[in-house]
Amino acid sequence: METVALIAIAVFLFTYALIVDERIHRAVAAMLGAAIVVFIGIVPWEALLEYIDFGTIFLLLGMMIIVNTARGSGLFEYIAIRTAKLAKGSPIRVLVLFALVTAVVSAFLDNVTTVLLLTPMLLYIAKVMKLNPIPFLVTEIFASNVGGAATLIGDPPNIMIASSAGITFNEFLIHLGPIMVIDMAILLLMMYLIYGRSMKVSPEKRQEMVRTLNGLDERAAIVDRSLFNKSVAVIGFVVLLFFVHNRIGEILHFILPFVDPAMGLEPAEVALIGAAIILFWSRQSPEEIFEKIEWPALFFFGGLFVIVGALVETGIIANIATVMVENVGSTGEAMFIVAWFAAIASAIVDNIPLTAAMIPLIHDLGATMDVYPLWWSLALGACLGGNGTAIGASANVVVIGIAEREGVGISFVDFLKIGMLVLFVTVAVGLGILWLKFAV
Amino acid sequence: MGYSSSLIQRKFRDIVGRRYESVLKEYSEFLLTEEEVLVPEVRSILVPLDFFVHDITDEAIDVLSAYDATISLAYITDAGVVELLERALNQSSTEEFRAKKEEYGRRLLDRTAAKLKEHGFSTQTRMFVGHKGDDVVQMAKNHDMVALCRRYADGESTDVSISPIVLRICQRVETPALIY
Repeated sequence: METVALIAIAVFLFTYALIVDERIHRAVAAMLGAAIVVFIGIVPWEALLEYIDFGTIFLLLGMMIIVNTARGSGLFEYIAIRTAKLAKGSPIRVLVLFALVTAVVSAFLDNVTTVLLLTPMLLYIAKVMKLNPIPFLVTEIFASNVGGAATLIGDPPNIMIASSAGITFNEFLIHLGPIMVIDMAILLLMMYLIYGRSMKVSPEKRQEMVRTLNGLDERAAIVDRSLFNKSVAVIGFVVLLFFVHNRIGEILHFILPFVDPAMGLEPAEVALIGAAIILFWSRQSPEEIFEKIEWPALFFFGGLFVIVGALVETGIIANIATVMVENVGSTGEAMFIVAWFAAIASAIVDNIPLTAAMIPLIHDLGATMDVYPLWWSLALGACLGGNGTAIGASANVVVIGIAEREGVGISFVDFLKIGMLVLFVTVAVGLGILWLKFAV
Repeated sequence: MGYSSSLIQRKFRDIVGRRYESVLKEYSEFLLTEEEVLVPEVRSILVPLDFFVHDITDEAIDVLSAYDATISLAYITDAGVVELLERALNQSSTEEFRAKKEEYGRRLLDRTAAKLKEHGFSTQTRMFVGHKGDDVVQMAKNHDMVALCRRYADGESTDVSISPIVLRICQRVETPALIY
């Protein structure tokens, strides 16, 4: 093997080890790795611009602007209080309703923001009911990852896959949406069977909770009524635009005949259009909103793309693809390997760097086989694999981190036991459905 | 802190940054604290009255009715004023002043007690010459709550400010205080 290839592998492994360990900020680790491969000329400037997936970065950027603007209105707190009140003092209903709300919001908005804003409310409810908050929190984590897997914009791995493979929003909804609905039902059933018995409360406690929650005024959570209405309208419009992003030309052509009917919008363009509209309409200070953009996350993605690009440049990904093609007999077999490898590796490495490394591999496999089903296997494995361990996905880290700060310890091993069970059941069910769809 | 716990905290810090602190601040605006969630047990409420308190408002009665408590009405005539009058006026004038004050106080106590009874409260009444601030703080130690009219010990001012004595009582009592 050539020296440059060995260096590319070493940088890749070293950077991923740093990302897993996180002693150095993940963004810094990714940028350092990228700097090394650029400095020694493995990834030249022209190639660097090709490897950095601006579709992913701009989509994340646009959605961050929308979410951070909407956040200032109190929208998420409003949703949290309304959900809590709907439960009417029943712990099981709290668990189910919060899981459903988390899944739906995660499907359309950033998972981290969703759980960041719902977790304090769940901890508060558990405290009022004097119940162990762990069942609520772990269910929220799983729901966030399952819900996020349902759409193109729900989870970073899906965004990366869609941007690289040119898959549309509706394709995600058609192929992964129903799977995630089934997985969500299974997840809720599992949580009920595991935790249901520990969630019984006396009628007095239930009354106390209803009284306390009724004392909360969801309208008080709305900091800015005008911004609240505008945020809901823009988010609704953006989601609508995602549904038709690849056919927007056909629609616009009716109103504006000069628009090419064949024109489509990339998901990143939709997000940036939404960001521009909300900034213009809400009159929020752009400086303040831009300050809230998670720049480290964007640089993290950029660095990862370059490090993986070094593996592509040196032919390592192509070699792995060749080995895989030689040993894989059918599409079904490839789907099985990709889904389970992605699921288990995501649980260890974190699903974002894992997906970044898997995408060029699947592109290379495309030379000899139909890789369309493999994209779904990768999305399924990477998103649901995040449920496996406490560090498998960002949502897990955020919920467990908040819990720990509030004095509720969820140990790595305790999470692993239930997380792996959820991972295996949900991936097996999802892969079974994909297999019936594409391999039979 | 074990490795996994410190790993989670490192990752949490890198993913969330300072956003969690701002989320907590936003929630603290409308979520009750643990202390606020506990409904204090209130069995007796002290309601001080004087020449400047003409009535107990319906809004105050609404709030007090949330507790199943006995209300102690205390009419206090300021000892300093009585002492000053004793020095400035003759014996019979001072006695006349005292009698008129007592008559006024008794009528106010009876009227207020009757109004509270109409709302289902059980009441106790008491009238004495003392210090309007110190005596209320002392008596509050034997009650679970104090309800103070904002004009108590203030005078006949027409503005809506709260009497300085009321504010001082609120600072000194350890029981919850309601200002009406």
